[in-house]
Amino acid sequence: MLTFLARVQASGLATTIGQSQMLTSVLSSVHLIGLTLLVGGMLVSSLRLMGVVLKSRPASEVTSAPRRAVVVGLCVSVASGLLLLAPRVTNAVQNGFFQLKMILLVVAGLFSFTVLRQIAQGREGSPFQMRVEGVLGLLLWFGVVLSGAAFILLE
Amino acid sequence: MSLLNFCTWVEGTPIGLFVRESLWGFPTLVAIHIMGLAVSAGMVVWFDLRLLGWSMRGSPVSVVYRQLMPWAFGGFFVMFVTGSLLLTGAAVAAYGNLYFRVKASALVLAGVNALVYHTVTERGIRDWNEAARPPLPARLAAGRY
Repeated sequence: MLTFLARVQASGLATTIGQSQMLTSVLSSVHLIGLTLLVGGMLVSSLRLMGVVLKSRPASEVTSAPRRAVVVGLCVSVASGLLLLAPRVTNAVQNGFFQLKMILLVVAGLFSFTVLRQIAQGREGSPFQMRVEGVLGLLLWFGVVLSGAAFILLE
Repeated sequence: MSLLNFCTWVEGTPIGLFVRESLWGFPTLVAIHIMGLAVSAGMVVWFDLRLLGWSMRGSPVSVVYRQLMPWAFGGFFVMFVTGSLLLTGAAVAAYGNLYFRVKASALVLAGVNALVYHTVTERGIRDWNEAARPPLPARLAAGRY
């Protein structure tokens, strides 16, 4: 596994990105735009599940509204993230913050997908259950953002 | 006192020195700044989607505004505070940096865009509050932002 990652890191694309401050900055900005769309969408969905905003609208309507933005944000974040990762992947996979971020990302993604699909199918659950789901979703997605920041800033 | 002199002075203040030299200060501020971005800009994207008539068409514009924008304003406040603190540590470098100047200009323009929307475009809101697709000036405001 490590030799595969080392080969990725040594590839032409990875070294080009790693050596270019301009490319790294542009990709970082794109990554931030992606996360704004993704986390912003999940934020409103979570707040609606917690019963804090737009209570007059059905949960299914509010949580399905940002679907396209969330998907676009996720794709943009993952694509830019992979490109940003390539030049430093062998160090990253051994970094605790990065490992945490990846675990949280997978858990958050699976959790949100499951919860939002249930709601879209009309299987909402009790208000208490929705509130718990909202809080958990918030914690997971902001956890991804925080661990990502920690990974980059405390390298 | 020129702007550059002011930046040099700011960097020498206790706050500026703390931001630049503390191990935790800078990363913590940046992390909070980014979370503030997700909240503020993320919420504004939602309101813009409503203004464009692309999303949540069942809700009146003013309802979406009143429910979501307080969160956006909170996010903007967090970004302003953390951004200012971050600036105190890097004022001189930011002054000379083209990208920061572009960012600062864009922020000002975004503020002007919001101001124009609130003072001019929003006045007719009683006519199109319920509309699934608000009139062109409102949609333009969302697009410009």
